[in-house]
Amino acid sequence: MGQERFADVVERFTNAYGVVSGVAPEVLTQWQEELDKLQRRLTNLHRLVTNPPEPKVGQTPREEIYKKNKSRLYRYASSRRYKTPLLFVPNLGISRPYIFDLLPNGSFIEHMTREGFDFYLLDWGVFGPEDNDLTVEDCVTRILPRMARKVLESSGATELNVLGYCMGAPISACFVATHPDIPVKNYIDMAGPIDFSKVGLFGLWLKKDYFNVDRFVDTLGSVPADMVKAGFKLIKPTMDLSTSLNLWWNLWNDQYVEGFQALSKWANEYVAFPGEFFRQWVRDFYQENKLYRGELVMGGRPVRLQNITCPVFVVGAKEDYIAPPDCVRALLDAVASREKEYVELPGGHISLIAGRGAARHCWPKVSDWLASRS
Amino acid sequence: MADTTANQLFDIWKKQLEEGTQAWTRLVIQAPPTAPPDPFSFWRPVLDEGLQAWAKLFAQSPVSPDLHGQWKQFLDQWIEAWSKVLGQAMGTEEFAKLMGQSLDQILVSQAPMKKVADQGIEQALQSLNLPSRSQLTAVAKQIVELEDRLERIEDTIGAVLRRLDKEPR
Repeated sequence: MGQERFADVVERFTNAYGVVSGVAPEVLTQWQEELDKLQRRLTNLHRLVTNPPEPKVGQTPREEIYKKNKSRLYRYASSRRYKTPLLFVPNLGISRPYIFDLLPNGSFIEHMTREGFDFYLLDWGVFGPEDNDLTVEDCVTRILPRMARKVLESSGATELNVLGYCMGAPISACFVATHPDIPVKNYIDMAGPIDFSKVGLFGLWLKKDYFNVDRFVDTLGSVPADMVKAGFKLIKPTMDLSTSLNLWWNLWNDQYVEGFQALSKWANEYVAFPGEFFRQWVRDFYQENKLYRGELVMGGRPVRLQNITCPVFVVGAKEDYIAPPDCVRALLDAVASREKEYVELPGGHISLIAGRGAARHCWPKVSDWLASRS
Repeated sequence: MADTTANQLFDIWKKQLEEGTQAWTRLVIQAPPTAPPDPFSFWRPVLDEGLQAWAKLFAQSPVSPDLHGQWKQFLDQWIEAWSKVLGQAMGTEEFAKLMGQSLDQILVSQAPMKKVADQGIEQALQSLNLPSRSQLTAVAKQIVELEDRLERIEDTIGAVLRRLDKEPR
């Protein structure tokens, strides 16, 4: 009723405007469309402010295969066309992994399962103060091997593919390099930093000369979610402004608003780091670049990336300011694989794997590369 | 007609901005007694870029229903310019040093306060016969350790079973 009235007003206004000023009919139509969009913007804004619906995220059917403390291993429903299962290792802390299965008809996990991959997701979980002693080494030597074995057990396969995203890539690379007993058929690094001397702003801010990681962890115990949030907001301070502007611009579009709400829910749900994990992550990776220099030791074994001999696919994002392409690409020089490939795709750290651009540029590249090798 | 309106609008806006800038300059110059800092040197390039973008937009096209689009384009450019300037400022060793020092100061001042607060809360909970956060954390840690032990036993049994399966019967 209200909308009809508004439309009548718009029509009357544009007709009168046309009569008075004698403007071309196409300009009038354009005015009408603009006013209509404005009306829809205001309606959606009212809905967002007064009664925002809870976005339904992570809707691809899945089954919990295993749980270890806070970490969970999920297997997603798919036609399982390929016999080699895929273990997806995302970042620990920072954010929740439902970004990879955000909304139906537009998520990486949904794409991979539709393509017929037997997809397993390792959700590291949300750690509490009782987990402050957890280290990167624990993740590499205790959690990942167990999860990989569970993948093999549950799928009945003899080999598995591993895909590491963001921080999950160096962690899973350490695991692949130190566990020759677990047969990894193919390894993919998506936006995962390897050479930390080229890691950009975070690398500069976390330099040993400026950032005292020991004082930080000893005082706070862990890295609270708010602190993680502050760090990520600081790296791109104008991000919130751009996001709000784009929201206003697209507020007339219901589909955009639905996507925005889901993304906004994810983007505001930061996850804390366990203290000892953060200490080792910053010291060994950011400050001393031990992984790339081959000086890292985990579970009593030296972590040598040249021990990775399986086919390797590395994906970097052109506008990634968290893991710039150079520090991701470095994996190619470090591994001993005969078959290795690097692609640099449009997008940032998140838009590489989530969103419309990712669906066009990234997902088909990853699934095509993996399909012929699974 | 539309061109004239746009230019008038732009002139008014520019005049207001210039007057505002002058007022700010006067205020800042009055405040410090010696060597006044120039806060505008930091954002002047951004302002100039924004002004140019605005002027270009108005010069290119008259006021039309797409004014909203032009406004969006202008703001996008403005934000991008800010982002570039801030990125450059934050990508310097000086900024990293300053941030590190500030964080250190916060942590150094926070540590004793946190210790006192933790002790106070612990004592208050104890007097109320309630478990404290550290006690609950200790229990949770024990559960995590128990789970680890169970897993190790599970692994050992699994390995033994696999070996038995391989042996000829």
